[in-house]
Amino acid sequence: MIRQLFIILITCSLLAMSCSTKIVSTNIYQEQKENLNKIESRYEKINPANHFSLAYTDKKFNIISLEMISDTLTRIYEFNINERRLADTLIKYNYDTAGIYFLIRKMRESKVTWINSFDYYVNDQPQQLIILSIKPVTVRYIFSPPKYVALAYFRTAQSFDEKGRLLDSRRTKQVRKIKGQVFYKITDRICYTITDKYR
Amino acid sequence: MIKQGSDICIIKSNNFHLPYKPFILLILFLLSKEKGSAGNLLSEINSTKKEALEFIDKIDQSKENSLWPNVKLKLFYDNLKLNLEKPGSFYPGRSTNFCAYGALSYLIMEKDPLGYVKFMNELYDKGEANFNNNHFKPSGAVMKAAGTLKFKGVLDIRHAEQMWFLVLADKFKGYLNFFDKKFNEGDENSFWAATNLAKFDRMVNKMCGIHVKAVGSDLIKPWVKDPYSYLSKRIDSNIVSLYINNRIIHKKNHDKVKFSIPTHFIILKKISKQDNMVTLRYWDYGGETQMQVSPRTLKKIIFGIITIDK
Repeated sequence: MIRQLFIILITCSLLAMSCSTKIVSTNIYQEQKENLNKIESRYEKINPANHFSLAYTDKKFNIISLEMISDTLTRIYEFNINERRLADTLIKYNYDTAGIYFLIRKMRESKVTWINSFDYYVNDQPQQLIILSIKPVTVRYIFSPPKYVALAYFRTAQSFDEKGRLLDSRRTKQVRKIKGQVFYKITDRICYTITDKYR
Repeated sequence: MIKQGSDICIIKSNNFHLPYKPFILLILFLLSKEKGSAGNLLSEINSTKKEALEFIDKIDQSKENSLWPNVKLKLFYDNLKLNLEKPGSFYPGRSTNFCAYGALSYLIMEKDPLGYVKFMNELYDKGEANFNNNHFKPSGAVMKAAGTLKFKGVLDIRHAEQMWFLVLADKFKGYLNFFDKKFNEGDENSFWAATNLAKFDRMVNKMCGIHVKAVGSDLIKPWVKDPYSYLSKRIDSNIVSLYINNRIIHKKNHDKVKFSIPTHFIILKKISKQDNMVTLRYWDYGGETQMQVSPRTLKKIIFGIITIDK
C-alpha cells in the first residue's frame, strides 16, 4: 500500500515537472495592441487624481476587484460588473466613473485581468510604470500552473541587453527583475513576461 | 506614497516549485502544532516618540560608515525620522517575505520607539547592537545587501528599514528557514525571510518583552467558534495580529482550488459587523486597508490570532 502511494506520488511529481502550460498565441500584444494601449493611456490619465487598481477575479470576467488607494486608507471592494453598487461607490469617493467603466469594458474585451501602477526609483527619484496582466488562451495540463502575460509600460525608453532582457540602467548589465520576473522587450518602453500569477 | 503590497509573504510560486510542495507541506504539517502563549520573560519596556525624536536630534548624523557600504546616510536618517513621525509607515516592500517583520515593527514602534532608534544608530555605527537583551551581529552578506534592495516600492529609498528587516530576518529563524539559513542575493523574497506563527510569537516576545497569547497554527485553523466575536472582544484592550491566508482575499490567479495555508501577517485595527458582513480594517505595508468579508470567509482565512497586551 505504502509502495503504491509512493509510486503515485512520484508519477504525479514527474507529470507536474514534464507538463507546462502552453500559451496558444505568441503575439498577444501585436494582436490587441490598439485596445491594450488605449487601456494603458486611459488608466495613466485617470489614476493620478485618485489612485486605484482593477482586477477581474473570476474566469468569466464578471467580478471586478476595485482597490481605491489613498494616502491613509486602501478600500477593497468586489463587485459584479453589472451591479449598481459599483457606480454608487465610484461616485461616493469622487472617482472618474465613466473612465473606470471604460476600463472595465475594454479590459473584459481584451481579457486583461489586472491593471495597476508601480512606483520605482532611479537615482533615488520616484518613477512610475503601469502593469497590465492578460489571461491568454492556453493549453493546460492537470498539474500545470496557470499562465498570464504581464505587460510593463514605462514612461521613458528603457535599456535592454542583446537577448532583449530589461536592464537596470544603461550603465549596468544587471537584469532588472520586477516581482521576481525577467521582462523582455516589445518596444523601447513596453516589455513583457510570462508569469503564473496575474498580480 | 501609493500603497502597494499585500503580496503573499510566505510562499511564492517562483521560489517554490510544484514537485516539492507535498514534501514541504508534510514538513509544515508535522511542525505546525505550535500554539499557546509565550511567557513574559522580560519586564515591559516603554518609551515615547518625544524621547526618540529628542535622541535623534542630538546624534551626529554625518558619520559615514564603511561597515554598511550601500547604506546612504541621508536616506538612513531621513527614514529613521519618518519611522518616528509616522510609525505606521513601515513598508516591508513589494514581493518580499518581510510582512511579519513589518507587523513586528508596528508593535515595537507602539512600545519602544526610543529603543528602536538607539538600536539602529548603534547598529549603523558598530555593525552590532542589542535590542532588549537580544544581541544582533548581522552577517557580511546582509550588511552588504542593505541599501541595495530594488523594485520593492518605496522600500528602495528607505535604507534604515532595509537594514532593519534584513537584520531581523538574519537573526530570527524558524523551521521555514531550515533549508535557507544563509543570505544570498534575492533572499528577501525567499524562504530565508519567511516567518511561521511560532517564530512570530517568539520575535514579539523577545523584542517587545511583552505577553503574547496565540491561538492557531501554521496549518490548522484556531478552535474558535465565532472569530468575529473572539476578535471584537479583544480588540479594545489588546493589540491583535492575524496570521491569514491572503490568497483568498487577494487572489493572484483564477484557480478555484488553492492551498489552504497562511501567507501574511497583519495588525487588526477595527472590526465591525453589519448585514451579516464583517468589515475589517487592518494595517500592513505602510498603511491601512479596509475590506468586507462574510463571516464564513473570515473563518476560512484566519490561521493564527496573536493577542498582545496593550
